[in-house]
Amino acid sequence: MEMIQVENVTKQKIRKVKRKSTPILFINLCRLGIILGLLAVWELAVRFQMINPFLMGSPSGIWEESVRLVQSGQLFTDMFATVYGTIFGFVLGSLLGSIIGLLLWYSKTFANIIDPFVVALNGLPKIALAPMIIIWFGSGMFSKIALASIATFIVALLSAYQGTHQIDSNLINLMKSLGATKGQIFKKVVIPSSLPWIISAFRLNIGFALIAVIGGEFISSDKGLGRMIFVAGNLFNLNVVWVGVLTLMAVAIILYVGVSKMESRLIPWEASNKQREN
Amino acid sequence: MVQTYLEKTSMVDVEKRIAIELRGVKKHFYDSDENVIQVIKDITLDIKEKEFISIVGPSGCGKSTMFNIIAGLMEPSEGNVKVHGESIGSSTGHVGYMMQKDLLFPWRTILDNVSLGLEVKGIAKKEREDIALEYLAKYGLADFAKAYPATLSGGMRQRVALIRTLAIDPDIILLDEPFSALDYQTRLVLEEEILGILRDFGKTAVLITHDIGEAIAMSDRIAVMTQRPTSVKKIYDVGLAKRLGSGMKARADQRYNEFFENIWADLDIQIGRSS
Repeated sequence: MEMIQVENVTKQKIRKVKRKSTPILFINLCRLGIILGLLAVWELAVRFQMINPFLMGSPSGIWEESVRLVQSGQLFTDMFATVYGTIFGFVLGSLLGSIIGLLLWYSKTFANIIDPFVVALNGLPKIALAPMIIIWFGSGMFSKIALASIATFIVALLSAYQGTHQIDSNLINLMKSLGATKGQIFKKVVIPSSLPWIISAFRLNIGFALIAVIGGEFISSDKGLGRMIFVAGNLFNLNVVWVGVLTLMAVAIILYVGVSKMESRLIPWEASNKQREN
Repeated sequence: MVQTYLEKTSMVDVEKRIAIELRGVKKHFYDSDENVIQVIKDITLDIKEKEFISIVGPSGCGKSTMFNIIAGLMEPSEGNVKVHGESIGSSTGHVGYMMQKDLLFPWRTILDNVSLGLEVKGIAKKEREDIALEYLAKYGLADFAKAYPATLSGGMRQRVALIRTLAIDPDIILLDEPFSALDYQTRLVLEEEILGILRDFGKTAVLITHDIGEAIAMSDRIAVMTQRPTSVKKIYDVGLAKRLGSGMKARADQRYNEFFENIWADLDIQIGRSS
């Protein structure tokens, strides 16, 4: 009973807050207005020959190229290649990194031994490995996945390992006093209490994976949004570059939102923490 | 549960079996310069079965070290601790404890928190949840079974922590300043509740506290500790709560003030001197 009341009170509070702030519809209209305004100014500037469409592209030209690329299916082929490489690399690198980072909790000595290697790898901009990866694995999907995995692996590992260091030692003592084995402590305390750290690494990693894939595609690739942008850029086809950039932006947003949604699924208790703070 | 005065007093006196036996327990640590820091000078103490004993000492005297040793989380440097005649290492599960921090797992619901100990022991899901629910229902927390700890108040969380301790059915319950983070009213209510629970279940309880009033209101006996390196300075036979039936009545009793003055004098706390 009390719980329901509490929830009602929170909801009422939220509603009140919302009423005070500007309606979301108005805000969205303003945002749309800014985009349309910019496009209109751009287009007009091109029409009145105030800027050079060969160097800047133009909204109408971008639209024409989008229609062409959608109709030929080229845009989807490239988008799919990039998204596929990003997601696979992200999942592979993040999962592997998180698992190894967590397992390091078992052995301080081992963690100590590999520490400098991890630091060295972490400092290295992973894109520097792209030429080698492409030489070894070719310009296909496998190289994209490999690059994205490498880019995400170390971040996930470090984050998970740091997570295991933040555990309240009282919780581990409590488990010990209950007669828990090390395996039980790992499963019931170490993993769940490190999850927020792991998830926050995921949010960074989806961005890193995308950067790695696009970087790889810039260097050498048979398809992908990075290749599309790179090739069109070399040909001074600015409208196609814009199509690529805007599609990439949309892809990035969707991937980021996807990972954020996963967060509330995986750590529901954090959501109830936030609710309380409200 | 109607008992005469005599029966209640006899309950205090009859139990002479020893639950926890501390023999010449000493503990020292090393600081960063390898200097020896002696925390526990020498403690020899018998804690009788089903009694409620408080360990009161000035802050920083080594009470928490004592707690860790009794709970089996720390080895004494010298001497030994026996729980029901067995050495402490092999006795995990006999001692349940409750601290100032409720130590509820934020990622577990109240139900899953309460059944944690049973889960560690490998009891089947259905069975452990039934046990946990029964306890929660008994203490008016059944509605919160599916809630996460973050949504509960401090007092309720502490109550859940107590239930989690009870669910594993330990013979001995160690309380390490379990009330000090709570407001005064909640504290009084919980004190009463714990006394009731200990009475109902016949548990041995060790309360570690710096709150003299709380110790007098709840205990059968109080061990007053010296400054660090600590040892037992004096033992008081109190038993007000058990004789009068409640901690509140104990607090209202004339003898409460006498004990308070004596223990205060024993603690020899010098105001203004940092210890």
